[in-house]
Amino acid sequence: MRYNILFGGEAGQGPNVLTNVLGEALVKLGYFVFYSRDYQSLIRGGHNFNVLTFSEFPVYSNDSKMDIVVSIDEATAKIHEHDLKSDGVLLNGEYKNMYFAGAVFKSLGLPFGSLENELKILEKRFEENIKDAKGGYEKVETHFKIVKSKNNKGIFVDGNEGISEGAIDSGLDMYYAYPMTPATSVLMQLAGKENDHDYFTMELENEISVINATIGSAMTGEIAMCGTSGGGFDLMTEGFSLAGIAGVPVTIFLSQRPGPGTGVATYTAQGDLNIARHAGHGEFNRVVFAPGDPTQAYELTNQALYFSQKFGIPSIILSDKHLGESFYTISSWPEIKKVKKIRKLKRYNSYEKDSDGSATENPKIVEENVLERKEVGLEIEKESFNFLKYEIFGNKKSKNVIVSWGSTKGAIIDAIKDLDVKFIQIKYIEPFPIELTGEFGENLILIENSATGQLGGVIAEKTGVMIKDENMILRFDGRPFLCDELKRELEGKLK
Amino acid sequence: MELKDISTKTKNTWCPGCPNFMIMAGVKNAIVKSKKARDDFALVTGIGCHAKLFDYLNLNGINSLHGRVLPTCLGIKKAKPELTVLGFSGDGDAYAEGMEHLIHAARFDLDYNYFVHNNQVFALTVGQPTPVSEIGYTDKTTPGGVKVYPINPLKIMLASGATFVARVYAEPKQVEWVMTQAMKHKGFSFVEILQPCLVFHPQTAIYKDKCYSLEKEGHDKSDFDAAWEKAEEFDYNVAKKIPTGVFYQVVRKKIE
Repeated sequence: MRYNILFGGEAGQGPNVLTNVLGEALVKLGYFVFYSRDYQSLIRGGHNFNVLTFSEFPVYSNDSKMDIVVSIDEATAKIHEHDLKSDGVLLNGEYKNMYFAGAVFKSLGLPFGSLENELKILEKRFEENIKDAKGGYEKVETHFKIVKSKNNKGIFVDGNEGISEGAIDSGLDMYYAYPMTPATSVLMQLAGKENDHDYFTMELENEISVINATIGSAMTGEIAMCGTSGGGFDLMTEGFSLAGIAGVPVTIFLSQRPGPGTGVATYTAQGDLNIARHAGHGEFNRVVFAPGDPTQAYELTNQALYFSQKFGIPSIILSDKHLGESFYTISSWPEIKKVKKIRKLKRYNSYEKDSDGSATENPKIVEENVLERKEVGLEIEKESFNFLKYEIFGNKKSKNVIVSWGSTKGAIIDAIKDLDVKFIQIKYIEPFPIELTGEFGENLILIENSATGQLGGVIAEKTGVMIKDENMILRFDGRPFLCDELKRELEGKLK
Repeated sequence: MELKDISTKTKNTWCPGCPNFMIMAGVKNAIVKSKKARDDFALVTGIGCHAKLFDYLNLNGINSLHGRVLPTCLGIKKAKPELTVLGFSGDGDAYAEGMEHLIHAARFDLDYNYFVHNNQVFALTVGQPTPVSEIGYTDKTTPGGVKVYPINPLKIMLASGATFVARVYAEPKQVEWVMTQAMKHKGFSFVEILQPCLVFHPQTAIYKDKCYSLEKEGHDKSDFDAAWEKAEEFDYNVAKKIPTGVFYQVVRKKIE
């Protein structure tokens, strides 16, 4: 069983609170819930919607057809009427958002008590909310006979919480940022909790300042991190390169949205794989890790901070809007170790430096420094074997092999459930797991939220294996892959 | 701490007679006389002739990027508030590439110090005009001469809310004196050091004789209007009288 509910309305009408309340209630009832957000770059009005998918089994993506469409405003019903299944239900009318919470609950035949509980937790406007919800619950008939949950004990989190919680539990000391969607919620989450911890957050005048302040703090031995999206990251690349030569452990959370330029500011994409790999002039070490769900975001944040501290290198956690702002049901945050601080303030340099830390142009010393960095690069590669650089899902013996990375993981896992497919999710983009070449079957398929299939280029560069154009499933309209559509497209490519 | 503790063996490559030698002498004296330990300091320099100071001064810190001295200072100070953080820049660093950081450093008013070696020219890149070069200044990139007015960094600092605004000439005693004041100031300290480049901008060597001391004149450094008036006396274009000393110093109430 897989139910899809769309909640639409104008910005300011509260579709997010509504979706959150229902999502939390369903998770507490033991279901697995996933919801993604589709919103425009405006403050009030417009058309925003969330799609919530739930099941008694794990779910990580949405489908294209809805069982319920909740139209808080008039426009949603018109825009999404054609998304409704033939036996689907449209809930509309001039009501407050929590009326629809009651209506959805009744429609699904779920107990009012668990909704009431969520509204209690929400606190805000409790009296009005409960009245509105009761109104909806009484007005609507039960339409679906849904399968009982298997009493899963889960928590409901978005991908960016994986980053912020992972950073806190790794021992974060400071986080600098300039606001940029879709990275900003990490700054919000960290700022909201900073009074309960030893770290601090600070918003600076631009991303150039952000990266250099991060470098300044990291030089003293503290665990320093910053976050941005593509445009801000472009500004950071000068400092990124400085961290590379000076050996300063900085970690950048890079959350992608469609570019180039301002692109489509509040939507999703995976077009920055190459810039993450190549940003910064000159040749220097870095690690680039790409989580595919909140749990991996938590673990890979820990690993990025670890690699930075251990080797004195910049690291990138490469995420995107779809992972960062979608909510997933996870069991709990996994066990991680606090990152050890091993540095103290010494003499750093943006020039090649001699043993005193002073700038040098001596060719022998320059060569020695470069060779030392190459040596560190080999050590990084060696160390990477202590971690799961990639994960394999599905039928491990299948000749049909999907490769992908990042937030596409959710839709792929859901789509391949009944297909003869092996799915390799690459988490370490740099250092790249060259050893997985042996896992490629005869029918290698790439799935990516980009127009050019950048991972295909990386695979060709690192392994010599070329993925044919007709074997690339690419989406580049700013929207994430949907389970049912992806499954249909995949079926046409299987052998 | 003695002078030898903060000196390196690196060969000095400033031009013979460069006023940077005078600045460094003042800096070293101020550090030694501060009675702090070597590791109580963090030094950040930008890119340009001034930045070689990092090679000759054996302090922890970083020879950073062009224009990025201030955010680096901020990161160090936020991480280790107990450190005395010394930032050095040239006028290209401070007033061209990194101007946005300068304004915001005044706004943040954190307790670090910024010393700008102002020779009104990009010297290390062999002589191009900076935002403070005078009208008519020529070089190979600007054969027709500079045709825009220079900015007045002191007025920018005053307008931005800086709590310590000073200017001195590149002379050891003045540098030592102002640096001692700056390090004692609780908040962001902005100090401009007039440092004529004898190779690419020798016309500014006359500044030495045009300078006069604000302290001797009885200037009230807590008076913003008086500071503004004094800042307007030298427009970086035509040097008649150049006030030196502390123009403005107040302690801004911290918001908790």
